[in-house]
Amino acid sequence: MLLQTASISKQFNGISALKNIHFEIEAGEIHGLVGENGAGKSTLIKILSGVYSLDSGQIIWNGQPVEIQNPYQSHQLGITVIHQDRNLIPSFSGIENAYLGLDYETRNAGLRIDWKKMRRRVEDKAVDLGIEIDFSLPASALSPSQRTMLEIVRAMMTDCRLLILDEPTASLTDKESELLFDTIQRLKERNTAVLYVTHRMDEIFRLTQRTTVLKNGEMVGTVLTKDVDKEKLIGLMTDNWTSEKMEIRKEFKEMLLTVTHLRSKDQSVRDASIDVHSGEILGIFGLGGSGRTEFLECIYGLRRIEAGTVLLENVELKNHTPAQSLKSGLVLICEDRRGMGLVTNLSLKQNIVLSTIDEYAQIGIVNEKKELSDTKEKIDEFGIRTEGPNQPVSQLSGGNQQKVVFARALLSRPKVLLCDEPTQAVDVKTRAEIHRLLRQLAEAGSGIVFVSSDLSEVLSVADRIVVMAGGRTGDHIENDGITAEQILSICYQD
Amino acid sequence: MNQHKKINYSNLFQSYGTIIAGLMVILVFSLLRPDAFFTVRNLINISRQISLQVIIAIGATLIMAVGEFDLSIGALASLGGVIAAKMSVAGVPLVFCFLAPIVICFVIGWINGWIVTKFNVLSFVTTLGMSTILAGFTFWITGGSTVFQNIPKTFSYIGSKNLLSIPYLSIIMLVFTFIFWFVMRHMTFGRKLYAIGGNVTAANVSGIHVQKNKKLAFAICGSMSAITGVLMASRLGSAHPTGGDSFFLPSYAAVYLGSTVFKEGIPNIWGTFVGAAILGILANGLTILQVPTYIQDILTGTIIILAVIAQKIGRGAAQ
Repeated sequence: MLLQTASISKQFNGISALKNIHFEIEAGEIHGLVGENGAGKSTLIKILSGVYSLDSGQIIWNGQPVEIQNPYQSHQLGITVIHQDRNLIPSFSGIENAYLGLDYETRNAGLRIDWKKMRRRVEDKAVDLGIEIDFSLPASALSPSQRTMLEIVRAMMTDCRLLILDEPTASLTDKESELLFDTIQRLKERNTAVLYVTHRMDEIFRLTQRTTVLKNGEMVGTVLTKDVDKEKLIGLMTDNWTSEKMEIRKEFKEMLLTVTHLRSKDQSVRDASIDVHSGEILGIFGLGGSGRTEFLECIYGLRRIEAGTVLLENVELKNHTPAQSLKSGLVLICEDRRGMGLVTNLSLKQNIVLSTIDEYAQIGIVNEKKELSDTKEKIDEFGIRTEGPNQPVSQLSGGNQQKVVFARALLSRPKVLLCDEPTQAVDVKTRAEIHRLLRQLAEAGSGIVFVSSDLSEVLSVADRIVVMAGGRTGDHIENDGITAEQILSICYQD
Repeated sequence: MNQHKKINYSNLFQSYGTIIAGLMVILVFSLLRPDAFFTVRNLINISRQISLQVIIAIGATLIMAVGEFDLSIGALASLGGVIAAKMSVAGVPLVFCFLAPIVICFVIGWINGWIVTKFNVLSFVTTLGMSTILAGFTFWITGGSTVFQNIPKTFSYIGSKNLLSIPYLSIIMLVFTFIFWFVMRHMTFGRKLYAIGGNVTAANVSGIHVQKNKKLAFAICGSMSAITGVLMASRLGSAHPTGGDSFFLPSYAAVYLGSTVFKEGIPNIWGTFVGAAILGILANGLTILQVPTYIQDILTGTIIILAVIAQKIGRGAAQ
């Protein structure tokens, strides 16, 4: 057995984050780790990688008890984590990034860096792993999937025995994910253990041999993946909760948002048009680099527009700022919730009222009673798991953070809600809650724009679908009997 | 709820460590020189000594809260004092002598903010440049010499007189501290500054006018610097072209020290007040003990660094 944990536990401020975890992984095994948000997956990873120290229990590595007190020790053992938010230095080339944490190769008695040798070693390793990227480019010029590959190369530069992948496909398109899966299989053949953390059940069944399920910081169990199916696994995670099928609408009320022939200044959006009605959920599906995020940012006024018009209830928004959009009833929920959505060092309360703070104030003085009662109401309404309104949002789990983002968006009573990957890295239950919420909003008269790179999700949620590729949008297609293959064929037309 | 209270108790020292340390400093001085240090007269004296430092550091607190830096506060104070003194010499009514610098420095601060937000220049660089420009202007206006001749007596009134044996300067300091505590804690403006300082992108996406609020923070900081300069000139009955410069570094020391008080790591007004007070008490007590000024500097610097380290260690243990 490569790694075992003997009843490890971890508490934060007296609240149990992990309780008695007996987890094990073998060399050459792809092991899935699933659980809802807040189930303790991240805590377990952070303990294995030395970010947190454990309160009790033991870690056994190759049969020997070990102490992992910092990331360096973890790395020395051969444990590498690849996170959702990637740990690359954007301005450094692929080669420099691959050598982060390693001694650079030198010549002339250590006086000069031997770039040639470094390049050769990195490229050899990449060929070995079947990875093709241009290592001379800075990390910032690589696509999300290439960056993940670069991190895998870096992990393999040293003798990595256990690779932990945390939601690696969250920002990858299907095609990019395929490449990643191939690489993971190759790692398995080289006898590297892979701990694969994801919310996407299909990937669990596709890749893993065994799967460990966590719930509320406790271990539900480890199962042989081939012995269970999706329903069973979700049942283990959520106490046999079942999802419901969404109803698709075909008739809507008045037109709310019309965007025509939009082109962004940086040309990431070339010619994009959509229209959204009251009562409608419009799905936008696009692969990575299709300009879907940039398109929403243009509509919201976050990105400069070069040509085209944005009409909200027949009033044109021109050179508008996010503040103006918000005021006219257009709200954006960003893909990058930690970077762009939340002020993580501030409290839940302050984040929830951030957009509407002026409505809580008279002559600039905040009505704190109303602020608090509204926050509490939202906490209950969304079922946000928290110590209270004054807890910093940085301490919440990913799904609960997303609920805070939604709570804030809804307080400003949006007429049109633009959601960019709103269910990314969110557990299945929260995901269904978000879907239901969007439908309720639509029923109440809002228009919803729903962007996702998860095709099955778009198909299950959207009333009409627009496919985006290369900064251009296609026709509005009614989501009536259309299949995933048909949508994909539009994406890959060119 | 119960549990929440328990956590607060266990974090007591971490939250109030700086204050406890400050009280210990007072205790030590009181024990060493009970006759001279812990007297009503000396406490009033200290309150006057720290008043100007507190007022200028309040402006710096706003700037730090919004995640920026203003290196020009010292030069702004110098300029403010010089303008007020020059105008009073020219016979301008006193009210305008005091108001004009405040308005002028508000505009200069606004320009700082405009450059920072419009062109995305680092505030460090912008205000460094502005500081140099202002120093040049001040020198130009004064010819490099102190303005002291023909300043009317009434000019010195507010800086030197007392109300019921409490200096006006101390009262002004407390009023400003209270006002800005209220603004930062209970008003939307303060909330917005903290949001911008916490995550500028998220604040923008959430519909906060980032540029406008930043510019306003810089402008207010300019005004607070000018007020400091004017009051200093009033207290001394003269204005030196570099008179405000010495406020610059201690202001940020007070803000940093203050951010270790109450709220961990976040600049806050009462924290700044306490920070400036601790620095003032140290200077006062050490002077009474006849410790040479260079030793005072060494001690003060050490204490600032230790306070920040102590807070970091405390936070690490809490996680």
